[in-house]
Amino acid sequence: MKNKDLSFWLFLAPVLFALGTVVLIPLLYGIYYSFTNWNGVSYTEFVGLDHYVTLFKDEGFRNALWFTVKFSVASVIVINILGLALAMLVTSKIKSRNILRTVFFMPNLIGGLILGFIWQFIFTKVFDSIGRATGIEWMQGWLSDSATGFWGMVILMSWQMAGYIMVIYIAYLENVPGDLLEAAEIDGANPWQKFRNITFPLVMPAFTVSMFLTLSGAFKIYDQNLSLTNGGPYNSTKMVAMDIVDTAFKFNMMANAQAKAVIFFIIVAIISLTQVYINKKREVEM
Amino acid sequence: MFKKKAFVLSSALFLGLAGCSTAEEDSGSSNDSGGGSGDKTVVDVFQFKVEFKEQFEELATQYEAENPDVDIKVETVGGGNDYASALKAKFSSGDEPAIFNIGGPTAVAEYRDRLTDLSDTEAAGAALEGTLETVTEGEEVLGLPFNQEGYGFVYNKTVFEEAGVDPESIKSIEDLTKAAETIDSKKEELGLDGVFAMAAKEKWTEGNHGSNAFTAADFNNSALDAYNSKELPFTKADQFKTYIDLQNKYSVQPVVSLDYSQQVEELFSTGRVAMIQQGNWVYPTIEQMDPELAENVGIMPIPVDGEMKMPVGVPQYWTVNAKAGEEEQEAAKAFLDWLYTSDAGKEAVLTQFKFIPAYDGYDTEKISDPLSKTIYEYAQAGNTTGWTFLGYPTGWGDVLGANLQKYLAGEASWDEAIQASKDEWAKLAQ
Repeated sequence: MKNKDLSFWLFLAPVLFALGTVVLIPLLYGIYYSFTNWNGVSYTEFVGLDHYVTLFKDEGFRNALWFTVKFSVASVIVINILGLALAMLVTSKIKSRNILRTVFFMPNLIGGLILGFIWQFIFTKVFDSIGRATGIEWMQGWLSDSATGFWGMVILMSWQMAGYIMVIYIAYLENVPGDLLEAAEIDGANPWQKFRNITFPLVMPAFTVSMFLTLSGAFKIYDQNLSLTNGGPYNSTKMVAMDIVDTAFKFNMMANAQAKAVIFFIIVAIISLTQVYINKKREVEM
Repeated sequence: MFKKKAFVLSSALFLGLAGCSTAEEDSGSSNDSGGGSGDKTVVDVFQFKVEFKEQFEELATQYEAENPDVDIKVETVGGGNDYASALKAKFSSGDEPAIFNIGGPTAVAEYRDRLTDLSDTEAAGAALEGTLETVTEGEEVLGLPFNQEGYGFVYNKTVFEEAGVDPESIKSIEDLTKAAETIDSKKEELGLDGVFAMAAKEKWTEGNHGSNAFTAADFNNSALDAYNSKELPFTKADQFKTYIDLQNKYSVQPVVSLDYSQQVEELFSTGRVAMIQQGNWVYPTIEQMDPELAENVGIMPIPVDGEMKMPVGVPQYWTVNAKAGEEEQEAAKAFLDWLYTSDAGKEAVLTQFKFIPAYDGYDTEKISDPLSKTIYEYAQAGNTTGWTFLGYPTGWGDVLGANLQKYLAGEASWDEAIQASKDEWAKLAQ
């Protein structure tokens, strides 16, 4: 519809209004505040880029950023492998596939906070008792050092997101033409060759979608982080979102936190826009 | 035809949206007039203590019954960070409460222009010596204490008895070490997992409370001095190390992932550890978990310099908003006076809220739990140290807590951990 008449704008108005009041205006305000000495209630001075300069000297922020990047890369890999594996499983001809689909998707419906507490119990109690009973050392003392804190987060995130990503892969897997696979079979291809040369290339578009979904999801994570490790031990598992909240509400440095949030916004925006760009390109190709 | 339909439909949608907003306005204004019906003075109370929300609301209703021209509206938002940010949000949105809570000197500075002088209230006159220090400015008293709280080592008397250790005989850190060794050697027979449960995951337990015992002397027991100090001398850092090491050595491991609920509920209340560093606020939880065990708990101070002084302080203050109307301010003051100085109020403070009173003229026999009683006795004897951690730079307790975690996890030496915390103090206190 090229001609944008009055009804076009009238239809759009509610959404524009909502988007404007809860997203756009706060965003602009936020960017503006990051250049002032705002304390949450009022501001007296315009400080320019000061907050951005201190921000790059802030070791806590750099650590949080680096941890978030590491975490995102690890989760993206684990989630996609798991998601694809689950999708293959539930599109194969096993009997319980419908039940399994539901079961695998279920963790996605549980809130992040609850999941964090559940996994905290599993890591610190269940793992520990198994470790003690069997004498396996690596299962003891989870979440008490930064390595297990890191993997704890990755496991939690993967468990939650894999089911969701599975659904995307299922959609693509079911579109893989059966005659292609049959032809390959007649030509004597083994299951691995079939997967490697036919299925995998055909579900590649799903990988792009899933990768960016998980990447931006992993970047923005807060509640799971809060309930599972709360940044500990010694802030080594603190992610960017949590660092921003802490700066704002624990240290009461609102404008500083706002500057961090702007940087964070830019990073997430770049990730999302790249995704949109790549997807668009692909669509044209097909 | 289609166009016309689309137009009608979209207008309907748009009008619907507009309708929503006007409807809201309507209900809003009717609400206002409902609250202001008659000549009632509405006093909005915004308070943080979730633990006594119901009891407090009941008391407010009781007050309204006695004073029909006053309408007390209580709103509660849970403690810690949430209250501070919610209060901030309330102020920036213009919906300011008449009565609200502030913590230490930091909050006084932040809300200075909204704080009314309360020195003419009866409660201010009755407040115990020292409890008004952080909220006094010249002649003006800007806040009224909620209650007193204290902390130290909460211990299980039964375990001490069975191990043959007399808690009364512990007078120094050496005595405490010996006691811990004795109990540790009999761990199996006593059915203990450890002597201590050190909740190092909660940064405030050691970062604020633990450290306070050893920094109080640096600041003459005054939170105000701490607040004004540009740096932290930390002259007793060595003793602090002994104390941290002692707990860590005999604690259930791993300490850095041990949290408050594990410490109090899972380990102490089930009798699996002999003592924990906490305060009188854990009593209701212990009582809920095991009423029998709760009868046999005691509390002793953290030994510093071979002295046993209980850190006792006022965690929060009531304040009256200076920007509220004249009438509201008067009503708010009258309510707070009634709360702490009338017979009905006193009764509720002791038996319903289960507070350790911060005011004169209370029948202390009515303090029901043993921890509060001990703390009150220490306070009366003047055997206390101040809560200087209320004057720590905002967030510094967390910094120290995180550095201690680093030390406990073996990622930093003691000196590194303390030096990093001192540096951060200098930065935050600017």
